[in-house]
Amino acid sequence: MADITSAPDVAEIGIPKDQWTEPFWQATALGELTLPRCASCETYRWPPGPFCPSCRSQQVEWVPAGPAILYSYTVVRQPAAGGEMKVIAPSLVEFPEAGGVRIVAAIVDTPLTSLAIGAALTLRWNSSGEDNVPVFAID
Amino acid sequence: MTKAAVAGVGSTPYYFRGESAPQTIFELIGKAVMAAAEDAGIAVTDIDGLVFYSYGFDAALIVEQLGIPELTFCAVVGGVGGGSAGVLDLAAMAVETGRAKNVVCIGACQQIDSRYGTSLAGLATTPQGILSLTAGLVGPGQSLALVAQRHMHKYGTRREAFAEVVMASREYAQTRPEAIRKRLITLDEYFAAPLLANPLSRYDFCIESDAALAFLVTSSERAADMRQRPVNIVAAAHGGSRDWGRAFFWLNMPDDVFASAGAASIAERLYGQAGISPDDIDVALFYDHFSPLVIMQLEDYGFCKRGEGGPFVEGGAIRPGGAIPVNPHGGQLSECYVIGMTQIREAVEQLRGTAINQVPDAKLALVTGGPAPIPMSGAILGVS
Ligand SMILES: [Zn+2]
Repeated sequence: MADITSAPDVAEIGIPKDQWTEPFWQATALGELTLPRCASCETYRWPPGPFCPSCRSQQVEWVPAGPAILYSYTVVRQPAAGGEMKVIAPSLVEFPEAGGVRIVAAIVDTPLTSLAIGAALTLRWNSSGEDNVPVFAID
Repeated sequence: MTKAAVAGVGSTPYYFRGESAPQTIFELIGKAVMAAAEDAGIAVTDIDGLVFYSYGFDAALIVEQLGIPELTFCAVVGGVGGGSAGVLDLAAMAVETGRAKNVVCIGACQQIDSRYGTSLAGLATTPQGILSLTAGLVGPGQSLALVAQRHMHKYGTRREAFAEVVMASREYAQTRPEAIRKRLITLDEYFAAPLLANPLSRYDFCIESDAALAFLVTSSERAADMRQRPVNIVAAAHGGSRDWGRAFFWLNMPDDVFASAGAASIAERLYGQAGISPDDIDVALFYDHFSPLVIMQLEDYGFCKRGEGGPFVEGGAIRPGGAIPVNPHGGQLSECYVIGMTQIREAVEQLRGTAINQVPDAKLALVTGGPAPIPMSGAILGVS
């Protein structure tokens, strides 16, 4: 039986927010994954911040991230409740239809043997209270 | 124009993490600075410039403890590993412009209260960095594992190549008295070790250690009248490309930059300043916090083509007598980790001709800062 990946406990971490990241979390709370794009020149920016790196505009629109693929991954083991070890695959997830922006996210519910760069990913959620953190699975 | 040279080197003993207690980091620094002045043959009170790498050391405390009467230059290269060789750039500028005469470059670490390997955990608790933590990415080793994985995918690099970097560093460290990890390891042992962050095992991670080092930089003319053979700062650069930028805190580098050490623009500037090519370098002192990044630096600094670093090291290129001997002191993987400072020390020893694993007739040495968020850095040191 291959190891199955899981994600860190969001409740233990807590999500700090500021005015530029807040819309990301407002959308995830509704089950939507969106990314920030310059409202003037349409350049995606990541992480969310006060200026567009291409034109310095401060205007942002949040657009659906679209399909996700696995750009790179690693595998770590972290202690979990009950003395168990969690198998976690911290990964870099790329959104080809959103300017190739990549976010860091855990791959969950996936056997380690299925991890492969280029794999198509399915969006899942790792939730705690109002916080919905995007995670992904390989089906 | 006045050129700058390294005229003195000072170091504390090298300690495994925490074993430098009960000395404070400022006691370690004081001992290194005094040793550097002694090595150069000048009085501590003749020091008039301080340059730090990194973490913003307390200059006031250092001049008070050592009785240095007046500073005319005091600066810090920022960053988290990338800027280490940048101390030589700042010191050379201070000396060349006449801001100061005798500048001491200081680098030190003491991992008692905090371990650098989990440094992301603190730095990532920001609105912009929090996804690293919710993804389980807690340290530079985990982030750079993503880079190594991509290099394997893109170029077919094998874990055997990472193993070779580790095994070569152990071969060098065996004869280095200061080295913390001296035992040779075999390919079987390497592959038997559990993976800490796929594709990296514990052997691919540098040592956690404590020490302070200091380098006395002055003009080449003054250095010629001091105690040691002057080692000239032929070229020095810090800064770096936006494409590499925040590196392992962000990981949105363009695809061709992602599977690299982020040093290509630094390399170009160094070779341009020095008017030389990689073929002219006799020994390379790479910042080896994680073994795969040695392979990517070999590519960035032009010792082999992009993507060919794996086969290059597997062919023995970095061993004694190879195409480009790398880290003959054992590096941060086997000797000691002091945020890049041991690389500068080894470059000076190689060029003075006093190194333990001496590269025959070494005239030009390359020193690099670590693949980390910019500032990145590098220097070429030389003797005529
Ligand atoms: Zn714009």
